[in-house]
Amino acid sequence: MTRRRKIVFWLFVLGGLHGIVLCAGFFAPYDPVEQDRINPYLPPMHLHIVDAEKHLHLRPFVYASRLRPGTFDQYVEDIRQTRPLKFFVAGAPYRLFGFLPARLHLFGDGKERIYLLGTDAFGRDQLSRLLFGGQISLFSGLLGAGFTLSIGWCIGAAAGYYGGWRDDMLMRLVELFLALPWLYLLFAVRAFLPLTVNPLKAFFLIIAVIAAVGWARPARLVRGIVLSAKERDFVRAARGFGASSFYILRRHILPETSSVLLTQAAILIPQYVLAEMTLSFLGLGVPEPVPSWGNLLSNLQQYSVLVSYWWMYLPALVMAPFFLGYLGLASALQESSDAYKIEKRSLGSLA
Amino acid sequence: MEPILKVENLTKRYAKRNSARTPQEFLALDSVSFAVSAGATLAIVGESGSGKSTLASCIACLEPPTAGNFWFEGRNLAQSAESELRKIRPQIQLIFPDSASALSPRWSILDIAVEPLVLQGKLGRKERNARTFFLLERVGLAADMAERPAAELSGGQRQRLAIARALTLDPKILILDEALSALDCSVQAQIANVLLELQASRGMTFLFITHDLTMAAHLADEIAVMSRGRIVEQGPSTKIVRNPDHDATRQLLAAVPRLPRSPWPAAQP
Repeated sequence: MTRRRKIVFWLFVLGGLHGIVLCAGFFAPYDPVEQDRINPYLPPMHLHIVDAEKHLHLRPFVYASRLRPGTFDQYVEDIRQTRPLKFFVAGAPYRLFGFLPARLHLFGDGKERIYLLGTDAFGRDQLSRLLFGGQISLFSGLLGAGFTLSIGWCIGAAAGYYGGWRDDMLMRLVELFLALPWLYLLFAVRAFLPLTVNPLKAFFLIIAVIAAVGWARPARLVRGIVLSAKERDFVRAARGFGASSFYILRRHILPETSSVLLTQAAILIPQYVLAEMTLSFLGLGVPEPVPSWGNLLSNLQQYSVLVSYWWMYLPALVMAPFFLGYLGLASALQESSDAYKIEKRSLGSLA
Repeated sequence: MEPILKVENLTKRYAKRNSARTPQEFLALDSVSFAVSAGATLAIVGESGSGKSTLASCIACLEPPTAGNFWFEGRNLAQSAESELRKIRPQIQLIFPDSASALSPRWSILDIAVEPLVLQGKLGRKERNARTFFLLERVGLAADMAERPAAELSGGQRQRLAIARALTLDPKILILDEALSALDCSVQAQIANVLLELQASRGMTFLFITHDLTMAAHLADEIAVMSRGRIVEQGPSTKIVRNPDHDATRQLLAAVPRLPRSPWPAAQP
């Protein structure tokens, strides 16, 4: 594959994955906070097309679950009750993209509930929580990376371009921030806030802390590129044409940083999604009942859940394709920027 | 005739920080003085490391000198403020030795050539492009290449593009810092001819910086020889080449490659 096609491929993969999470309301059969208290820790239901009497069904269906006689948490399929999957049905109301009111779901029926990925302690549908949780986790990763890169970009460009004592000062600051143990810093910041904060506040707190700590590394990278770019002859030539500092930064120096910024973004986003998951896992992130991948996983802190209900691990597993997508994109981007450097080098030797 | 450029005791020191613990200084230019009258060509010749390129950057106002003064059309640029220098710089254009680095590799040829005029902001889009195309054609770059990226050009084409770009500003002084040295002989001759034509038609002043004495003698009326940051000898081209006074000049003359006398007997008619 050429590197351009590689980049397009990974962008396509990531676009698909994010699209599913973005339209969580449509793909999720139920409201993520709706409880079904008589069915706690229900294992995932299996999809069938052939029933117990070997009849082929056109429409996939699941069997309802019932408690195994004599137990209180073991479920078996109740083969007398089939629940066919109904597609494009009206269900729990939600807001598409956060603002469009809608009721349409890919599948799911209000009365005969279908739990393809099981339920949690309160009988909430794990699939719905997983999809809605992704919105919080991925959005905090994207927003965190966006803030981090813009802060790092500004500081790195300023340090590299103006140089001198400003550079020295900013780079000492960068080193200080690189040395900070961010997780414990976050604990300290969290300690300043009241015990219960509303989900929105918690969400922005996470992003603010991630950005405040993470800007140092991209700042250093951008500074290095700006330093080397400003000594290039075409930058000196532009100065010779009477260009201002602002023009040179905008037209000649900052475009040189774009490939590093893109690569950094592809590396930082999954890292920050993981950071959000860590924080929520520890109970410092978005509070219940709002789902996020981190606080879905926090159920695993109970030993009984850890050993008994394997479907509670799914939020961690679901990260894998996202990470893979971002890492693939990062390496494709890196490859292209390396190729670009090699191109330039061979050009230089021709002169 | 009043000189267009007068340089007096120009000195440039660089701090050498990396070599030793105690800060050392490196004297790149050591009280350099000369004058060029308008429309003339002065060649500055010297071995590598003799301070030629530093001199070029200082005169193009890209680097402030440590000491000394230089006057362009009677204005002392060594003492001028940055805001004033920004207005002066377009009139003194520098052509860099490495054309690959002097052109933004991702920009198209037209974008590169038109950049100085865009920065001046005086002309409309149509006039800008017309003037740029005229100059591109003048240096022998076809107009139908204008949309291609500069990275596709050959070394000679790139250097011609760099020259055309500098000429869009109609500078009073053009400094050519080893601008022809990396090119092969036929391209050198071609560009030299374009430059001589321009000088004749526009009365431009050239500062021709090179290590090649024969090329300098060919193009310049006067030659200044530099060695270790100083001008060691200065005079009319013919005098310098025929009758050098200084050792540095003799060494440069000895370094000029010549074909050995042919070992074969001359062809019999």
